[in-house]
Amino acid sequence: MIKAENLSKNYVVKVKGSSLLREKRTVQAVKNVTMEIEKGQIVGLLGVNGAGKTTTIKMLSTLLEPTEGVYLFDGIDAIAHPMEVKRKINMIAGGERMLYWRLTARENLWYYGQIYGVPPKALRQRMEELLALVGLSEYADVPVETFSKGMKQRLQIARGLVNDPDYLFLDEPTIGLDAVVSRQLRGHIRYLARDKEKGILLTSHYMGEMEELCDVIYVMQEGRIIQKGTALQLAASVFDRKKFLVELYDTEGSGTERLKQEILKSDPEAVVEEKSGELTITGKRDFSYRIAEICSKNGLLIRKLYEKEPNLEDTILRISSEGRAEE
Amino acid sequence: MTGFFQTWKGELIKQHRNYFHSKIIYISLFLWPVFSFITTVYSYRSFEMENSAVSYLTQENLIVYLILGYMCMSFFRSLVQSAWRFSSERTGGTLELIFLSPANRLAVLLGNASSSLVESTVVMTVFGAAILLVKKEELYAKFGVCLMVFAVMLILALLWGVLLNALFLFSRDTGFLFTILEEPMETFAGVKVPVQLYPRWGRAVSFLFPLTLALETVRRCMLEGCEMKELLPLIFMEIVLGTAMLGAVCVIIKAAERHVRRAGNLTLF
Repeated sequence: MIKAENLSKNYVVKVKGSSLLREKRTVQAVKNVTMEIEKGQIVGLLGVNGAGKTTTIKMLSTLLEPTEGVYLFDGIDAIAHPMEVKRKINMIAGGERMLYWRLTARENLWYYGQIYGVPPKALRQRMEELLALVGLSEYADVPVETFSKGMKQRLQIARGLVNDPDYLFLDEPTIGLDAVVSRQLRGHIRYLARDKEKGILLTSHYMGEMEELCDVIYVMQEGRIIQKGTALQLAASVFDRKKFLVELYDTEGSGTERLKQEILKSDPEAVVEEKSGELTITGKRDFSYRIAEICSKNGLLIRKLYEKEPNLEDTILRISSEGRAEE
Repeated sequence: MTGFFQTWKGELIKQHRNYFHSKIIYISLFLWPVFSFITTVYSYRSFEMENSAVSYLTQENLIVYLILGYMCMSFFRSLVQSAWRFSSERTGGTLELIFLSPANRLAVLLGNASSSLVESTVVMTVFGAAILLVKKEELYAKFGVCLMVFAVMLILALLWGVLLNALFLFSRDTGFLFTILEEPMETFAGVKVPVQLYPRWGRAVSFLFPLTLALETVRRCMLEGCEMKELLPLIFMEIVLGTAMLGAVCVIIKAAERHVRRAGNLTLF
C-alpha cells in the first residue's frame, strides 16, 4: 500500500530581472498532500493545469524528493530508500517522448527490461506477452519512428509493465489520442487494476475517463487536495439539488403543461424547464414519487423518467469556482 | 554484479542501435581525423626535424608519432562526443526513465561510453594500424608492454568518458564542456604539437587532460621501445589518475541524482 502523509514540495525558481543577478524565489508546488493507493485500486488525481498533479506523481515515483512529509511504500520509507521502491513501480506519461524512436518496439522493451534486471528468459516471454497485450505483436520489429501516436502510447503501456510493477503511475496517458485508442487504453488500465491487481494512480484532464475508471478521486487545486471521494460522492458533496428528466406520451402538449403546473404548485421553489416536450425539474426534494402520483391521478403516460446525476465535470467546475470564491 | 553487467550490456547495445544505424556515420568518423592528420603531417614536412625537443621524435618516425597521437585522441574524443550525445536522453525524456529505474547508474554511463569507444574509433584504429604496419621499421615496442600500455590507455579513455557523462547528468547547461574539452584536448594533449614545446602555462593546461599522460606512455613504448619498468612511473600515474576519476564519478553520480531530485530539472531542456 502507498501511503503519503502531508507531502510538500518547494522549488527554488530563478526570476529574470534587469540586473545580471537573478532573484531566487521559493514556490510551493504541492502542499500537505495526503493520499493512499491500494493494490488493485485505481486512484484518480484531478485538477486544472498547474494544480500540482505531475509534481505529486513524481514525488510518489521517487523522481522528486519531497521537501516535507512522510511517504511509506509497502511499509518502506520511500524517501530514505528510493531504490527499493523503484523496483516495484513504473510510470507512463502521455505524449510521444520516453521511447527510442530509432529502435523497434521489441528493442525498446528489451532495453528497459535490461535496466530493470529482468532475467533474459523471463524478459523474452514478457516482451511477447506485453506486445500481444497492447496489440503490437505484428509491429514488434518496426522502428518506433514509423508508429502512429496511438501505437507509441500503447508501446508506452507495454514499457511501463516490463518490470511487472506493483504500482503504476499514469500521467495523462490518453492525452492527444482519438476516442477509439483512448477507449482501448482505458480497457488496458481497467484490466491491469482488476485482473492484475496493480495499484494505479491516474492523472487526467478528461473527466469521463476519471469517472469511468477511478475508485477514488482526489481533487487538487493550487497544490492542495481539496476533495476526495468517488465521482458520485464528490457530486453529492457539492450539489444539494436534484435534477429529474421526464417525458410523457403527449402529442398535444397539454399533459406536459399540466404536469409542470402541478409540480410548481406542490413546490414553488422548484425550477421546471421544458424543451422539446421534455421537462427538466430541479429542486431540493426527490420528485420521482410526486411525478408518478400526478401522472397517475391525471391519466398521463410516462415515456421516460430518470434522475440526472451531476457529472464529474460539473462537480469539478463547481469545486474549483467555490475554491476560488473562498480565496 | 549480474545486474551491473546486464545494465552495461543493455546500454551498450541500445546506444549502438540508436546512433550507429547507418554505415555512413563511420565514414564521417574516419574522414575528419584523417584530414586533420594529413594536414598536420604535411605542415611538419615543411620544417627540419633535427634537434627536436622530443628525444624520440625524428624526421623518419614523424608519421608514426602523429598517427599514434591521432589514434589515441580518437578514443578520448569519441567519449567527449558520447557524453554530449547523452544529453539527448534528457530531451527525449528517457533520462527520466533511467532515473526512475533501479539500474546501476555507473553501469549506464559505462555502457554508453563503451559503445562509443568501440564504434567511433574502429575505422581510425584500422587506418592507424595500417600506417603502423607500413612504417614498422620505426617501431621498437615490446609486444607485452605494448598490450599493457594500450589497455591502460583504453581504461583511462573509458573513465574519462564516464566522468564527462556524469557531468552531463548534472544539468542541461553542461553542454559548454563539449566546447571546452574537444579542441583544447587536441591542442594541448600533445596530439599534434609535443607538450614539451609549450611554455609552462601550456604544459600546466596539458595536465588537465588524461590523454596527455596516456599518449606519452604509448609513444615512449612504441617509439623508444621502453621496458615496463621504465614506463612504470607513467603507468602508476595513469592508475592514480584513473582511480581519482572513478572516485569523482561515484561522487558526481550521487550528487547529480540528489540535485535533480531536489531541483526537479530532470525534464527541463
